[in-house]
Amino acid sequence: MNQIDHINSEQDQLTDAVQPDFSLIIASAVHDMKNSLSMLLHSVDQMCEELPEEWKQKNNTTTVKYEAERVNAYLIQLLGLYRLQNKMLSLHIDECFVSDLLDEQVAHYEPMLLDKNISLSIEVDEDLAWYFDREIILGVLNNALNNASRYTRSKIEICAGIKDDFLVIEIHDDGQGYPALLLESAPGEILNNINFQTGSTSLGIYFAEMVTRLHVQSNKKGSIKLSNGGKFGGGVFSIYLP
Amino acid sequence: MEKLFPKLRFLIIDDFESFRSSLRLMLSSFGVQHIDTASTPEEAMEKCRFNFYDIILCDFNLGLGKNGQQILEALKISKRVKQAQLFIMITAETAKDVVLGAREYQPDAYIAKPITRQVLEKRLSHLIKQQQHLKPINREIDLENYAKAISLCHQQIELKNKYQSWCYQTLGSLYLKLGDAVNAKKTYETILNNRELPWALLGLGQSLLLNQEYSNAARVFENSLKLNSNLLEAYDGLAECYLKLNQPKRAQDILQQAVSISPRLIPRQEKLGTISQKNQDIETAVQAFREVIRYGEHSIHEKPANYLNLGRCLAEWSEDDLSPEGKSRAEEAINVLETSIQKFPLNEDACLSATLIEARVFNGQRMLPEADKKLHFAESTIEEDELSAEVGLEFARTLFALKQPERAEKLLINLAGKYANDALVISRIESLLDEPESLTARKQAKELNKQGIKLFEQNQLDAAIESIESALTFTPKHAALNLNLIQVLLKHYEASPNKATLIKAQLCLKKIEHIPQQHHQYKRMKFLAKTIQKLLNPSTAKAGIRP
Repeated sequence: MNQIDHINSEQDQLTDAVQPDFSLIIASAVHDMKNSLSMLLHSVDQMCEELPEEWKQKNNTTTVKYEAERVNAYLIQLLGLYRLQNKMLSLHIDECFVSDLLDEQVAHYEPMLLDKNISLSIEVDEDLAWYFDREIILGVLNNALNNASRYTRSKIEICAGIKDDFLVIEIHDDGQGYPALLLESAPGEILNNINFQTGSTSLGIYFAEMVTRLHVQSNKKGSIKLSNGGKFGGGVFSIYLP
Repeated sequence: MEKLFPKLRFLIIDDFESFRSSLRLMLSSFGVQHIDTASTPEEAMEKCRFNFYDIILCDFNLGLGKNGQQILEALKISKRVKQAQLFIMITAETAKDVVLGAREYQPDAYIAKPITRQVLEKRLSHLIKQQQHLKPINREIDLENYAKAISLCHQQIELKNKYQSWCYQTLGSLYLKLGDAVNAKKTYETILNNRELPWALLGLGQSLLLNQEYSNAARVFENSLKLNSNLLEAYDGLAECYLKLNQPKRAQDILQQAVSISPRLIPRQEKLGTISQKNQDIETAVQAFREVIRYGEHSIHEKPANYLNLGRCLAEWSEDDLSPEGKSRAEEAINVLETSIQKFPLNEDACLSATLIEARVFNGQRMLPEADKKLHFAESTIEEDELSAEVGLEFARTLFALKQPERAEKLLINLAGKYANDALVISRIESLLDEPESLTARKQAKELNKQGIKLFEQNQLDAAIESIESALTFTPKHAALNLNLIQVLLKHYEASPNKATLIKAQLCLKKIEHIPQQHHQYKRMKFLAKTIQKLLNPSTAKAGIRP
C-alpha cells in the first residue's frame, strides 16, 4: 500500500512540473501582443506623417486604429476573464477622479468618432472622486464605448454622478437600442441571457458584469444595467459602483 | 493646456529605440522642448545624477531581466527622484508583479500600452495639474520640513476638494515618519470611518505597531489582507508583530507568503533568510538568500553580505553531509564565496569572512588539508587586536568547527570585553559560546531539552536528568542547558540528599564557568554556583553570614 502511494505522489509531481502555468502564458502573450499593437499604431502614425498634405486631411487610418483598439480590448478581457475564472484576479481599488478618467476616454475615441461624424460629450462634476479599480473599469468603459460607437447614429454622451451611495456611469447613444432578450434580464441575471455565439458584444457584457460585481462595499455590490430610451432614445449602458 | 508642457523637462526610459522616438514625437507635439532619453538603467541613473527632470516616463519591461521598478527604487533610495517629480510607469498590462512592492516605491501613475497621443496628452496634463496643485506640500516633504507639510495638508483638507483623500493619505504617512503614533492613528481612523480601504487599514496597523500595541496591530494587518491579499507591507507589519510577540515561526510563515506573491523585494527576502536561519529552517533560509543574490544583482542591494549569508547557510547545511546533495551544496557554497571575493576584492572584512566560511565548508566535507589551508590563509591576514566583531565571530565559528575550541573561546571572551556595550554583538557571542556545534546537533539538543523541561515539570526528575544529559552530549558547553541540569539536580538533591548529585552539579558548573560577565545567563550561573557551594559546605556558608 505504501509503495503504491509513493509512486502516485511521484507521478503527481511529474505532471506538476510539466504543466506550465497557463495564466503566465496568456499574460506574456498579451504583453507581447500589446507591444506589437503599440508598434503597429506608431508606424501608422509615422506613415501618416509622410503622406502628402491633401491625403492627411482624409484620415484613412481610423479603421486601423479602431480595429487595433478592439483587439486591445479583447486582449484585456480575455486575460481578465481567465484570471477571474481561476480566482487570480485581484482588484486594486483606490480613489480615482472620474472626470479625468472620462476625459481621457473621450480624447481616445474622439478622433475616430469624428471620422464617422459622431459627436461625443461628457457630463460630470469636475471634483467627482470615487473608489474603484482604474484599469478594470477603464476596460469596461472602453468596451462600452466601442460598442456604442458601432451602433449609434450620430451621438454618444457619457454622464456620471452619485446616486444612493453608488457611482453611476451611463453611456447614452441614439442607435436602435439593445435587443429585447438582453433587456429582460433582472439586475445581476444578465449572464443567463448571454449567447457567446453572437460575438464581441456578449463577451464585453459578460466581462463588465463579472468585474463590476467584484467591487463590494459594506454589503453592496457593483453591477451593470442595459436599457433603452435614455437621453436620445437609443441604448443606455450603465455601470453601478458602490 | 499647451502652456503646461513647454517648461517641463522629460526623461524617457525604454530599451526600444522605436518606442523612445515615438514617445519623443508625441511629447514634442505637446510643446515639450526638453526631452532626454535613456536605453538602460545605468544610463537612466547617470542622467538623473546630473539633471533634474520634472517627469520621468519609464517602461516597466526593460529586457534582460531589468525592470522599471528597480530603477524607481534605486532613484528613491539614492534620493535622486523627489516627491515633487512625477515618475510614470508604462506597462503592457496591469500585471500583479508590477503593481506590487512597497507603497513608498510606487510610481505616481501607470499608463497602459498601447499609448496613443491623445490619451497621453490628457493623462499627463491631469497629472501635471494635480502635481502643481500639491507642489507646496511636496516641496516641504522633499525639504524634510514635515511639520510644515502637515500644516499645509490640514489647510488643503479644509478646502474639501478632490485632493482631500490624497492629503489624508500623505498626512498619515507623515505622522508615521515622525513617529507620532497617536495622530497617525487618528488620521487613518478618520478615513476608515468613511470607507474601509486597504491602505488605510495598513496605515492604522503601522500606527498601532509604532505604539507597541502588537496584538491589536496584528489584527488590523490581518483585516487589511482580507481586503487585499496582495498588500505586501501588511505582511511585513504582521511579521514584525509576531517577532515582537516572540512567535518567530509565525513571522517566518507570513514573510514566506509575502515572498511567494512578490519575490522581488530584496530587504524582505533578506529578513526571511535571517529569521528562518534563526528558526533553524536552513532550507528556507538558503532559498531566501539565493533570491537575494538573484534579484540583488546589478541593483543597489548588491553587497558582500548577500553572498556571505548564503555561503554561511550552505556551509551549515552541507556540514558532515557527504551525500551527493551535501557535496553539491558545499560546491555551491564555495562558488558563492569565491564570487563574493571576486566581486568585492577591496572589502577586506568580506574577503576574510568568505575565506573563513570556506574553511568550514571544506572541513564539513572532511577535506581537512583544504580547510587548514583556508584557515592559515585567513590567519596570515588577521590582526587579532583590530578584529571587527563581524570577522571575529566568523573566525571563532571556524575555530570551533576546526576543533580549536580553546582558541575560539579566548577570542570570544576578548571580543565580549571589546564590545561590552553592543548588546547585539554580545548576544551573538553568547549563542556561539553556547552552541558552537552543527545544525543537526543543535536541533537534537533543543528537542531533548524541551523534553527534559516537560519531565521536570511533571516531577519525573530521573527521566528529566537523563534527557538533559543526552542533550548535553550534543552541545556540552551550552550555558542554559547546563544550568537547567543543575537546577534539576538540585531539586533531586532536595528530595533525596546525596553528595554525588551535588558533585555532578559542580561538574556542570565547571563547564560553563568561562562565560563572560555580559552573558545573559551570568547572574543565574553565579546564583546557582552559590547554592551548590552552600549545600556542599554548609559551615563556610554560615560562617560567611556572621559579622
